[in-house]
Amino acid sequence: MSEITIYSGETFERVFLNEPNIDLHITQEADSHVKIHLLYLPSKSSSLSLGEGRGEVWVTQAGRDCSTEIYALAFLHGEEKVTTETHVKHAVGEGTSNQLIKFVLADKSRGRFVGNLKIAQDAQKTEAHQTNRNLLLSDEAEMRTQPQLEIYADDVKATHGASTGQLDDSALFYMQQRGIDKQKARQLLVGAFMKDVLATISDETLKEQLLNSIDGVVE
Amino acid sequence: MTNNLLTIKDLHASIGGKEILKGVNLVINEGEVHAIMGPNGAGKSTLSAVLTGNPAYEVTAGEVYLKGQNLLEMVPEVRARAGVFLSFQYPVEIPGVSMTNFMRTAINEKRAYEGKEPLSAKEFLSLMREKKKLLELPDKLNNRSVNEGFSGGEKKKNEIFQMAMLNPCLAILDETDSGLDIDALRIVAEGVNRLKSPENASIVITHYQRLLDYIVPDFVHVLADGKIVKTGDKSLALELEEKGYEGLNL
Repeated sequence: MSEITIYSGETFERVFLNEPNIDLHITQEADSHVKIHLLYLPSKSSSLSLGEGRGEVWVTQAGRDCSTEIYALAFLHGEEKVTTETHVKHAVGEGTSNQLIKFVLADKSRGRFVGNLKIAQDAQKTEAHQTNRNLLLSDEAEMRTQPQLEIYADDVKATHGASTGQLDDSALFYMQQRGIDKQKARQLLVGAFMKDVLATISDETLKEQLLNSIDGVVE
Repeated sequence: MTNNLLTIKDLHASIGGKEILKGVNLVINEGEVHAIMGPNGAGKSTLSAVLTGNPAYEVTAGEVYLKGQNLLEMVPEVRARAGVFLSFQYPVEIPGVSMTNFMRTAINEKRAYEGKEPLSAKEFLSLMREKKKLLELPDKLNNRSVNEGFSGGEKKKNEIFQMAMLNPCLAILDETDSGLDIDALRIVAEGVNRLKSPENASIVITHYQRLLDYIVPDFVHVLADGKIVKTGDKSLALELEEKGYEGLNL
């Protein structure tokens, strides 16, 4: 477990790529900014198998005017399993938090997302968003989603949404009708699904590298 | 000398166990424009879906040949590479896939099928620029996701733009006129007419005579209850407009 305090005026950014165990506890002082990426993108070509992964991110906004961004993306194959847990606590008001969590599950892989969002009674004028979107590429893949929202303040803006679906058959057919191989069409759609998470990475070199690795076609 | 392009023999097809096409026969030669008209539910869109291999439909009997090749044995992407193009009645939005990436993938897959080298980035972009002008589409189109946030008119222009890029031998326009204002209709129809050549043919599916003022057909077929019940020249479309399907005494 690592405990970190982000002091006033500081910005903390970190991208975790294919790290099987993450247990991060962050306390934010006033006017501090946190951006975390939890990425599980085991490369098939390197035959790296993740096995089981678990990432927990605990963030407490202890001062005003903080921002917290948590992005997670897992693209799993075989019997890989990943659990992502986020625990975001707005202890005082006028902070923002934004979470975008996506899983793409092939074969017999398993994904689990626990998203705990707590807005304390004193945390008025908080703005908090949590979105979880999952794509199942096989009938044997499984996703479990547990959003937990505890909102005790009344003057807040909070949204959350969770959905799990499959590739859009009409989009697949449309692409095939233009001569695109079905497998390639699936790749393009999966890449499109994952792009918006990767697009939030601040490190331009890493972002380009990851976007290219999912794309297959360089634009 | 006219060359046969497409032959449909006694085609039957169903969706969800319900028979929609009940024995369609149609012969199309290179250089011809065929209009297919008919009441709602007659099977017009089913015919376009079956010719392009939409997996939602099941062919229960009949044969279809494109330039002598058995079309029904080909998967949808191979039919497309062999030159069958459908301008969709409802073009699909594909968020996150840019027009450039989509179109470049499609063109290069077709070129690989024809045994040609892929286009270079420069050649591809200049082809895009040339064909966009034909449809009066804006340059910003390249970076937008396929059909996402496009107006109804832009979507239909985008279909014809893709047709211009892929240069098919058989274009099927499925109610390309629906939802178009008169200016967009003119641009779309002019685009289609400029793509016409002695080597290709088109099937124009429509409810209204209006489109046929712009894209003049060599033949007009009336499809009713899953069969072609009447065939004529362009005057048949005018007669339909005047008397309706009931007036034909089918």
